Amino acid sequence: MAPTAPSPAKSASPSQPSGKSEVSDLKQQLRQLAGSRAPDADDQRRDVFKRVISCMTAGIDVSAAFGEMVLCSATSDVVLKKMCYLYVGVHARAHPDLALLTINFLQRDCRDQDPTIRGLALRSLCSLRVPNLVEYLVAPLTTGLKDPSAYVRMVASVGAAKLYHISTTTCLDADLPAALKALMLSDSDAQVVANCLHSLLEIWTLEAANSEAAAREIETLYSKPVVFYLLNRIKEFSEWAQCHVLELASKFLPSDNNEIFDIMNLLEDRLQHANGAVVLATIKVFLHLTMSMTDVHQQVYERIKAPLLTLVGAGSPEQSYSVLCHLHLLVMRAPMLFSSDYKSFYCQFSDPSYVKKLKLEMLTAIANESNTYEIVTELCEYAGNVDVPIARESIRAVGKIALQQYDVNAIVDRLLQFLEMDKDYVTAETLVLVKDLLRKYPQWSHDCIAVVGNISSQNIQEPKGKAALIWMLGEYSQDMHDAPYILESLVDNWDEEQSPEVRLHLLTAVMKCFFKRPPETQKALGATLAAGLADTHQDVHDRALFYYRLLQHDPAVAERVVNPPKQAVSVFADTQSSEIKDRIFDEFNSLSVVYQKPSYMFTDKEHRGTFEYSEDLTNLTVGVEAPETVISAQRYQENDNDLLLSTSDKEDNVTRASNGSSTSTYNAPPDLTGPSSLLSSQTPTETALINPGGPTYSAQTNFSLDDLLGLGVPDTPAPPSPPALTLNSKPVLDPGTFQKKWGQLALSLSQECSLSPQGAASLMNPQSLIRHMQSNYIQCIASGGQPPNYKFFFYGQKDGATAFYLVECIVNTASAKAQLKIKADDGTTAQSFSTLFQSALSKFGLS
Amino acid sequence: MPVAASAIYFLNLRGDVLINRLYRDDVGGNMVDAFRMHIMQTKELGTCPVRQIGGCSFLYMRISNVYIVIVVSSNANVSCAFKFVVEAVALFKSYFGGTFDEDAIRNNFVLIYELLDEIMDFGYPQNLSPEILKLYITQEGVRSPFSSKPSDKPVPNATLQVTGAVGWRREGLVYKKNEVFLDIVESVNLLMSSKGNVLRCDVTGKILMKCFLSGMPDLKLGLNDKIGLEKEAQLKSRPAKSGKTIELDDVTFHQCVNLTRFNSEKTVSFVPPDGEFELMKYRITEGVNLPFRVLPTIKELGRTRMEINVKVKSVFGAKMFALGVVVKVPVPKQTAKTSFQTTSGKAKYNASIDSLVWKIRKFPGQTEATMSAEVELISTMGEKKLANRPPIQMEFQVPMFTASGLRVRFLKVWEKSGYNTVEWVRYITRAGSYEIRC
Repeated sequence: MAPTAPSPAKSASPSQPSGKSEVSDLKQQLRQLAGSRAPDADDQRRDVFKRVISCMTAGIDVSAAFGEMVLCSATSDVVLKKMCYLYVGVHARAHPDLALLTINFLQRDCRDQDPTIRGLALRSLCSLRVPNLVEYLVAPLTTGLKDPSAYVRMVASVGAAKLYHISTTTCLDADLPAALKALMLSDSDAQVVANCLHSLLEIWTLEAANSEAAAREIETLYSKPVVFYLLNRIKEFSEWAQCHVLELASKFLPSDNNEIFDIMNLLEDRLQHANGAVVLATIKVFLHLTMSMTDVHQQVYERIKAPLLTLVGAGSPEQSYSVLCHLHLLVMRAPMLFSSDYKSFYCQFSDPSYVKKLKLEMLTAIANESNTYEIVTELCEYAGNVDVPIARESIRAVGKIALQQYDVNAIVDRLLQFLEMDKDYVTAETLVLVKDLLRKYPQWSHDCIAVVGNISSQNIQEPKGKAALIWMLGEYSQDMHDAPYILESLVDNWDEEQSPEVRLHLLTAVMKCFFKRPPETQKALGATLAAGLADTHQDVHDRALFYYRLLQHDPAVAERVVNPPKQAVSVFADTQSSEIKDRIFDEFNSLSVVYQKPSYMFTDKEHRGTFEYSEDLTNLTVGVEAPETVISAQRYQENDNDLLLSTSDKEDNVTRASNGSSTSTYNAPPDLTGPSSLLSSQTPTETALINPGGPTYSAQTNFSLDDLLGLGVPDTPAPPSPPALTLNSKPVLDPGTFQKKWGQLALSLSQECSLSPQGAASLMNPQSLIRHMQSNYIQCIASGGQPPNYKFFFYGQKDGATAFYLVECIVNTASAKAQLKIKADDGTTAQSFSTLFQSALSKFGLS
Repeated sequence: MPVAASAIYFLNLRGDVLINRLYRDDVGGNMVDAFRMHIMQTKELGTCPVRQIGGCSFLYMRISNVYIVIVVSSNANVSCAFKFVVEAVALFKSYFGGTFDEDAIRNNFVLIYELLDEIMDFGYPQNLSPEILKLYITQEGVRSPFSSKPSDKPVPNATLQVTGAVGWRREGLVYKKNEVFLDIVESVNLLMSSKGNVLRCDVTGKILMKCFLSGMPDLKLGLNDKIGLEKEAQLKSRPAKSGKTIELDDVTFHQCVNLTRFNSEKTVSFVPPDGEFELMKYRITEGVNLPFRVLPTIKELGRTRMEINVKVKSVFGAKMFALGVVVKVPVPKQTAKTSFQTTSGKAKYNASIDSLVWKIRKFPGQTEATMSAEVELISTMGEKKLANRPPIQMEFQVPMFTASGLRVRFLKVWEKSGYNTVEWVRYITRAGSYEIRC
């Protein structure tokens, strides 16, 4: 009789208090039945087994009955055997010593006459997952692979991969991969072939990291003989296996165009398959094969459109969602090819909101001259949608289309109509959009201002909308009759204003208004600065102080700083880098497309943080935060309003930065009640407020914006004599580690440097600079942007050391300037690396 | 490695595990707790069917009162996983006599365990065809009381079948009466603007078949679709017959259809599975015959009264009729009192969906019906008028009518024994998402 080892984890579910007694009861019954030869013994056993399994399913620990279960397993009843296998499979891992008891009967069943039993036994044997039992596995697996029954071979071929996961060496020593490969290339049964393929891919991919032989084996799998052999048999495979074969084919590198067309002709009919997964897999093959042939690639898009649109309409919402995500990816890659299909992306009232969201994004992307009117009309319908987030999204979509198009006239009208809808969130979203529109198309100010002027600020609750309104009040105060008075009433309610963002905007707006309409605003300005200086929020306080000093110093200079002639914003900040997009495209037909990020960002352990899910659920926040470490290249998902880099915002940043560097030495001004009197004198005097040690503006009477930007550099003295730095010629850093480092390391240096004019002129695409920097041993890890703004992430490594330098470099080719942010493992050498980097950068275009 | 699933869970609406199966070790056993905590118990439920928590992705679907959750830790193939769930549910349904819910799972857990073992191995989908699985997984199990002598013949046969080339049909079927039932089921989707313009309109159709045929018959189906007719005319070198031809935007076929032959000859030929199956699916966007026109007029009389007038016209043949016509007209939440007048059918106010529901059991072709309703609203302070009403939605089914105009021209059955078959063809058009903005 087997001893029933008391389980340490004997924790019956609290909801099933009777669990323990029930288990002992079951044990008792099993023991009685074990040796029974009564004709109905199997029926009784079935009943008891069923109860055991049902307890197991309910979460009751039934491992105590292990010994009895094994005793009763000596039966020829298939159903009993299956239940027993299931039981053993679940509990063997927790009780390796007891699992040994089962080996005997499983091995015997592996030699049964009935192939079903052989297969089942072999599958259970491989599923035990007990490391010290692997020795018993090899023999049944090897015979299983040669079994006359396809069913057993099918099980054995997957079993080999299972063995690999339990014990790598055992699997390799038994030479199972070679057997699998032989079987894959010769077996008459398609499912066996498919399972061999799964197992081989899995084994060799994992093995490739530490063995070159394995890497070569992988290459053979992707080689022409194997791929063509499998493709020629494609119709024999089950729909699922077809997905895998197609996945393999998508990675095949054809040697000439004939091969490409052969494959495409062969797979053409797969696009009509009822299984969406097969269709998507086929599409992947087509897209990847034709990457190098632009015109054919385009034809492929045309060809796959109809099947994709059908798939969207068919099946459950979840299935359509997965197809839509892929369609979304394709639409984003080639919007113009879908511009005539815009009606397919109209939202149905009953669509779930995750589907609506994707559709809105696609509608935005495919809007062009010919369909804008219809699309915008449709989007306007959604603005009154009951689903508020979708209504917001659609208003933003209208705005985005407006920012993309040249003919914004009609759209501006629509936006202004939104303001008349008199719904809080609609107004707020619209104001933000009108603001952004005005920053890009100042010529529309007249139309917009007329409407915006009629909006009462009291009706807007949302900070973003309020801030946008205040910005417009400040910016266009000369055109809006009562701007100063509206601002004044807002200042009166300063204390009730919760959002620091709104208060900051209010400060700036009042300043701007003051320079445009001084007599009307003077009173408000005094009150604003006083309120700002008393504000508890650091930024608000600092900016108020800054404005105050600026005015004190010279109102003329202040005007130039606060109210320079505005330059229309022409460029969006970079969205997702093209490299990341390409990576997602490479991983077509997988989760990457749904998450819209490459797989390394969500499967690699380091990206998820250190936490292991199964161990502690309370740590979850760490995992949730993990995406935050993702580099800014991914920020595209954020609110698009933040993507507009406006000159005014830049100034704001700069002013804040320069102010910040000096505040520490200042005391708060003792008298704040009379800034207007101070200003009215119009004679700047160096009062005691200005610390002589601080940056003296008077010395730089004609400072330009660029000088101002230079003030942002922390004035820490450079290391006295930076040691000569040589870089490793071939540093290796994977994107994952880069991101991790970037998130962990503090900023060592932030500088601006200039490019040679030739360099700036020759920077037509990111690649040219990347190549140039590579020749200086500085590698690029990600790049993106549109002319004239580019963004790069570079890295270098000190020769003979492990320390890396990471650089974020934003190049503006129009001004031939580059802004650098350097982070270093070894902060002391950051300065010398920066020198090296800048000299490399300045040489760009000169050679 | 695009694995489809590392684990699969079946949960009830409270989040209790009904049954689960771990296929791989790469996801922890308590992942389901994470799902419960971070998806089921939050507002996130239903926002997106694919979610990542920690390092694992959850792909979930609700089928009646059961959540089916697939957990993966690798970069899995999403469409494959969802399709797998759908097919698995279809398989369970065919085993449980058409129902799949919490009770069905609780009553059949042993069987589900067996099936879960067969349909997926180590995360890779295997065979999901009910036709084949039923041969060797039966609710009763294969009984061989004292020994496993080859007394149980179907078993070795079945395992051969599992992977055979014609995976969808068993040999040696015999029927006394050879019959084929063919149903063309179309659902027509419409989105009409408040001005009466058709914004979007399409038909998704499927051809369902039920075959009770002996032996290994070869079937050939002819439709009045444009490409097929042209090709036929070309092959027989005679001009294409005049009359309505249908342009199918896209077609997908059951795996039994010989796609190579479809591509070369444009005929649908196949060896059908036994019993019920979906032969093909298609989509049409051009030349759709809308069965109903809806003409709503909604007047707001002051702040507390509304007048709603909806006229519905049937524009299909006068000899045909629609069944189960339901028109749902949304009304504001603060509706207090309603009164109706209808020329046919019955109307009432359903507060739970904030709509007037007008039902007409039988609606003959080429006729029209109107409903006039007066709605009184509770006057509320500060409530602004509804800027956008949800659309009017319509449900109906019209037998013997296809919105696409698709017709079966012929269905030929050929079997080497040369028996006669009886063919039954039916058509029906249903409302898909039939929305009229107002």
